Amino acid sequence: MKVQTSRFGEIEVEDSSVIRMPRGPVGFEQYTQFVAVEHRPDTDFHWLQSTEEPSLAFVVVDPSKFYTDYEVEISDADAEKLGLASEDDASVMVVVSVAKGGEEITANLAAPVVINMKEMLGLQVILQDNRYPIKHPLVAIIQKCAEKTEQTTVKAA
Amino acid sequence: MLVLARKVGQSIVINDNIEILVIEVRGDQVRLGIEAPRTIPVHRKELLEQIRAENVNAATDTDVETVAKVLNDLTFD
Repeated sequence: MKVQTSRFGEIEVEDSSVIRMPRGPVGFEQYTQFVAVEHRPDTDFHWLQSTEEPSLAFVVVDPSKFYTDYEVEISDADAEKLGLASEDDASVMVVVSVAKGGEEITANLAAPVVINMKEMLGLQVILQDNRYPIKHPLVAIIQKCAEKTEQTTVKAA
Repeated sequence: MLVLARKVGQSIVINDNIEILVIEVRGDQVRLGIEAPRTIPVHRKELLEQIRAENVNAATDTDVETVAKVLNDLTFD
């Protein structure tokens, strides 16, 4: 199917790659179909693009890439909505905010997006665990990674 | 809005499967006990509002050029 987007123009996606949400993201409950668009090959970041609203897209990232002991405990109700029988079928992404021209980059660990990859059902779940902040800063870790990448590049050269 | 006065130890029953009990009142703070089926989500309203605001930030302030500038070619490895 063809999807109109304000950021990437018209994109062609497989019907089977559409993630359906029984309830859209918090504040955007009416938007219930998304596709994951690679920000670029070889990066850890994806865009979760609405297939219904061209201008609606979130940057998402796999939290295990930067947070080692992140635990997502979802309620029975949410597991049921996701048709989730085994945690092996679940993929977890967190929403990234890039503000002030990139000076502020944060990940929302309080409300991850859980996707049942088998059924392609997704849901933004609100964790009861208050250890996890809505704005987990990513700038420092991103700079560290950038430096590392630079060093590796220098070494390679 | 339905307004009910309750004392400590008294409760409100909603739809025969949700019970909200007033546990303690201290100054301007009220502690409530909520018994509801596990299928009913219960959240503090301000948390929901903060998450909504954060989603709006993430969806609107984030343009491709800015993201490209800061995240290009980046992996966490």
